[in-house]
Amino acid sequence: MISVTPKPLASQQEIRDLANLTPEQVALKIQNLNLHYGEKQALFDISMLIPKGQVTAFIGPSGCGKSTLLRSINRMNDLVDSCHIDGEILLHDENIYGKHVDVAMLRRKVGMVFQRPNPFPKSIYENVIYGLRLVGVKNRRTLDEAAETALKSAALWNEVKDRLHESALGLSGGQQQRLVIARAIAIQPEVLLLDEPTSALDPISTLTIEELINDLKKQFTVVIVTHNMQQAARVSDQTAFMYMGELIEYSDTNTLFTTPTKKKTEDYITGRYG
Amino acid sequence: MKKSIKLKTSQLMNSDIDKEQNTAMNNSYKKWFQSGSPWVWLSAAGVSLSLISVLGLLWLIASRGLSYFWPATIYQFEVNDLQGHNHTVIGEIYDRESIPVGQLVHTKLKFAPDTLEVERILVKTGNRELVNLDFRWILVPQITKITEPKNIVVIERRTNGNFYGFITKVILDGETVSNTQLPQLIDRVDNFQQQIEELQKSDIGSINYQLERLRLKEKKYQLNHQLTIKIKHEIDAEIEALKIQYQQLEQKLTSMRQQVARDKIEVRAMNGKVVTINLENILTVSYANKLNLFEKTGVFLQKIGHFISDDPREANTEGGVFPAIFGTVLMVLLMTVIVSPMGVIAAIYLHEYAGNNGLTKMLRIAVINLAGVPSIVYGIFGLGFFVYMLGGSIDELFFPETLPSPTFGTPGVLWSAITLAILTLPVVIVSTEEGLARIPASMRHGSLALGATKIETLWRIILPIASPAIMTGIILAIARAAGEVAPLMLVGVVKMAPTLPLDGNFPYLHLERKFMHLGFHIYDVGFQSPNVEAARPLVYATALLLVTIIVALNMTAISIRNKLREKYRALEH
Repeated sequence: MISVTPKPLASQQEIRDLANLTPEQVALKIQNLNLHYGEKQALFDISMLIPKGQVTAFIGPSGCGKSTLLRSINRMNDLVDSCHIDGEILLHDENIYGKHVDVAMLRRKVGMVFQRPNPFPKSIYENVIYGLRLVGVKNRRTLDEAAETALKSAALWNEVKDRLHESALGLSGGQQQRLVIARAIAIQPEVLLLDEPTSALDPISTLTIEELINDLKKQFTVVIVTHNMQQAARVSDQTAFMYMGELIEYSDTNTLFTTPTKKKTEDYITGRYG
Repeated sequence: MKKSIKLKTSQLMNSDIDKEQNTAMNNSYKKWFQSGSPWVWLSAAGVSLSLISVLGLLWLIASRGLSYFWPATIYQFEVNDLQGHNHTVIGEIYDRESIPVGQLVHTKLKFAPDTLEVERILVKTGNRELVNLDFRWILVPQITKITEPKNIVVIERRTNGNFYGFITKVILDGETVSNTQLPQLIDRVDNFQQQIEELQKSDIGSINYQLERLRLKEKKYQLNHQLTIKIKHEIDAEIEALKIQYQQLEQKLTSMRQQVARDKIEVRAMNGKVVTINLENILTVSYANKLNLFEKTGVFLQKIGHFISDDPREANTEGGVFPAIFGTVLMVLLMTVIVSPMGVIAAIYLHEYAGNNGLTKMLRIAVINLAGVPSIVYGIFGLGFFVYMLGGSIDELFFPETLPSPTFGTPGVLWSAITLAILTLPVVIVSTEEGLARIPASMRHGSLALGATKIETLWRIILPIASPAIMTGIILAIARAAGEVAPLMLVGVVKMAPTLPLDGNFPYLHLERKFMHLGFHIYDVGFQSPNVEAARPLVYATALLLVTIIVALNMTAISIRNKLREKYRALEH
């Protein structure tokens, strides 16, 4: 039995009923999403609302499709040739799988951080402003300010401010992951997707990142995939439990961990399988 | 019968013992085998063999090549020849060998009865105007006396090779002066000579070039039916002006030559004849036997300097190889500039854009097989396609006024560079592709997730990380191209190029010109020269130079690659 300390939700953000959000409260709307890798179906008819300004966690055993679902939100699955998607994901009432969607633009709005830190072999500074350089920002001052803001938001500024122009590959794993987060938030996305961001890190770095996630939700909508249930309980406001490509249960974290309604959820969070 | 049975049993017993011994032996062998040490020894042997052959090759080339520049001692031999005449031979010892006495029967020489072999030496006697051959073999038993006279001089000349003898008179402006003034005199003449050369090459050369261009300009107008009387007059006036300039320069040149021609020396050769040599014909005069080690080193370095910076003389058998060095390096650099973008773009297409289908596989196989095509085939292809087809079309389109004499429709440095670029293309493609394949997918994903398009990711992330692999490809390409000679003989290399592909006349870089190449120079000097003995050390020296240049080019590329590697090292794990 895993002991879970429920986290009190901020009263103004409290969302009791995930099915009845006002349109302003919704960041992403996933509707009847089916995803196939070739012949194999990986996601089955997923529908859910992801609220704005909160942390939503996807949990579930390995291979349940949580990462696949996360990657569909910024269309990283497009890189897999055999991937085929039906259904819709709406961002500002616009289907991101629509015909005229600019994928690069979408990814600027929906940033992503991967499991392993992947800083580019450039300086720390160049890593952070990579996204800004892409959109053609050249003003030195703007870039400097953006880099500082992003690094401060990612709680990395104090550690790297004296060596901004040294290689990012010289940072520790935890620092690299925060750098990657800084890089993602430097272009001011609306949604930030975190794909098991702490699975390659040591416990102390993990703690720093978790604290960071708590701060980040003030500015961004955060969606996090994790296979660590305590982490989901610690950092998220809503949790979705997935199993075999299906969304089994989705409710606020407190409810899901204390009074799950489905047998499978209960089995999973009590550690019967997974 | 019995006997045979006995024999058999004893044989059997013997074989049993053998077996036991064998198994014991086998066991220890097996152990040794399983320990892995045979493989260690085998690989060590392989490494040492390669090391020894590389070092041996370098040592042979270096020792033979460099000894050419070391000032040799000049000997005076008193020889009693077959007819019983005594005469003097002066020269440096070039080679020595032993020959069986049997070969000397016809000479009717008498040797001690137990003599099997007789030593003979090859002496470089120079003095081409006095003797037919500047090398001669002398049998050691015929030598009655060997001396090293201190006041023998070696005179290196622009034409006719070396002269060995004793200076008898130095004539300055028609008057005899002291021998001690000779070095200053030579310096003075050298200065003059340089001025004359400068005048000939740059000033007169430039006027000739301009005249030729004016002629072509006129012809172009003629071809286009635009040649009005006015234009014709303008051109004629320009030509006239240039011709006047030319005449002035030529007068200056003649007067300088006359001035130089008044200084001469008289030298007594080995057979007592006195020969007059104009100072203008003299490159260096050295008292080779008076030099100490320090001075010899000085001469040695000076000679190497001349070898590297001078033009060849006497049908390439003397002088330097500067045009060949220049041609080789220029051609390789051009080749690199052409092959790098082609190879990288092809590799990017194959790795990033081409679908993973049968056609791509075919393309890859074709690329790899391209590396196996004999280089002379590329030469033929280059001649047929680039020189005649492409070059011919360029001439028709852009240089109709010079036809029928071709501009680009003839072998040249550009076509050589392109032909070698095609030849080395597979190497660059393959190593670039390998480099691209090694880049972790996370780099790509990281960039794409930040809103970069595929091409932006390529430019900003993938190519910089792949740059060490690209450099590896370029290094291999340079190594292969710099040593290639066969195809070049068809598409641009010549024995003697009158002008360098780079000069002071617009457009400065003349890609259509033919050029000289060290590899071809080695072949030409070694096998096509009229004076094989004289050319042999030059072959080694040129080979050494070629190796040095290739190593230098490679080292440059390798150091660039290592810098890049250092930058991206943390990724390679």
